[in-house]
Amino acid sequence: MAVQEIKGDEYVIEHNDSSHVVGFKGTIRLQTTDDYAPITDLLQKAHGAAGKGKLTLDFRQLQFLNSSGINAISKFVIAARKEDKVSMVVLGSQDIYWQQKSLSNLSKLWSKVQVDIV
Amino acid sequence: MTKEAKIYGNWEDLPASAGGTISHSRMETDSRQLAEYWRRCSLSSDFWARYTALSSPEFSVGRPVRRDAVESTLSYLLNELFENTAKFSGGPVAAVVYESWLFPDRMAFQVTNHIEPARRDGFVQLIEELLGNDPDELYFKRLEENAETDQKGSGLGYLTLMKDYKVRFGFRFTPVAEGSIAVDVQAHIHVKEI
Repeated sequence: MAVQEIKGDEYVIEHNDSSHVVGFKGTIRLQTTDDYAPITDLLQKAHGAAGKGKLTLDFRQLQFLNSSGINAISKFVIAARKEDKVSMVVLGSQDIYWQQKSLSNLSKLWSKVQVDIV
Repeated sequence: MTKEAKIYGNWEDLPASAGGTISHSRMETDSRQLAEYWRRCSLSSDFWARYTALSSPEFSVGRPVRRDAVESTLSYLLNELFENTAKFSGGPVAAVVYESWLFPDRMAFQVTNHIEPARRDGFVQLIEELLGNDPDELYFKRLEENAETDQKGSGLGYLTLMKDYKVRFGFRFTPVAEGSIAVDVQAHIHVKEI
């Protein structure tokens, strides 16, 4: 098992390449699209590693994400839709308000995305 | 260029004092400082969100209002507004003013920054698009467009707030000095939407 990690001042993102889970923790409110590039790269690697299997994006410990971040994640979902290889599961938390409000938008971008708010 | 203020959307002349409100707050800062120390946007929004949410027991909408929901909503909203002032300010005036008014059943926020006159038309075009379309449709259209080309200032922050949080926006453009236009952005939220 290998875990690839991106760490910022207020967040950690981990990709576990055996369980094919990308976990987001903390608060991600970066300034520019370029600032989001390492995160997008990690997501693309995770997508490649998942092959035709399941890829899970776990947001249950992500307190905040700004609109630039929502844009970056949405862009990744659209790219995955175009390739149509993985089955994608998005995990959110009932205790985190923005996730109740906005996370289900991802399944409207791609109907195969399963959003579970638990 | 006209010297008169131009208003768009859900604009309201809000009181200069706390009269009639549960609470009224104001802060002044600097767009260059927000841009240079980017986390000040997040810090300011989290502070004012938490500060404001403490008033939740005073809201009167016929049911208890969840403080954490108020805080989260405001943190997202205010962060987008502060980030916009850091990203899009320009010209000789760098002042950014944050102001809030809490009423028993609604909240109003106003964030003012300054832009160069040449930036106005592009912003007005974006505002007219935001106000003249269905937020739900425009949100997904924008995401699809952004997936093809990176657009700076695509209005996604405003759209998320309009669509998912039912925030209503008003805008005012006032020429204040040579090479500077004050942009006031108002955000209105009914407490019952939270």
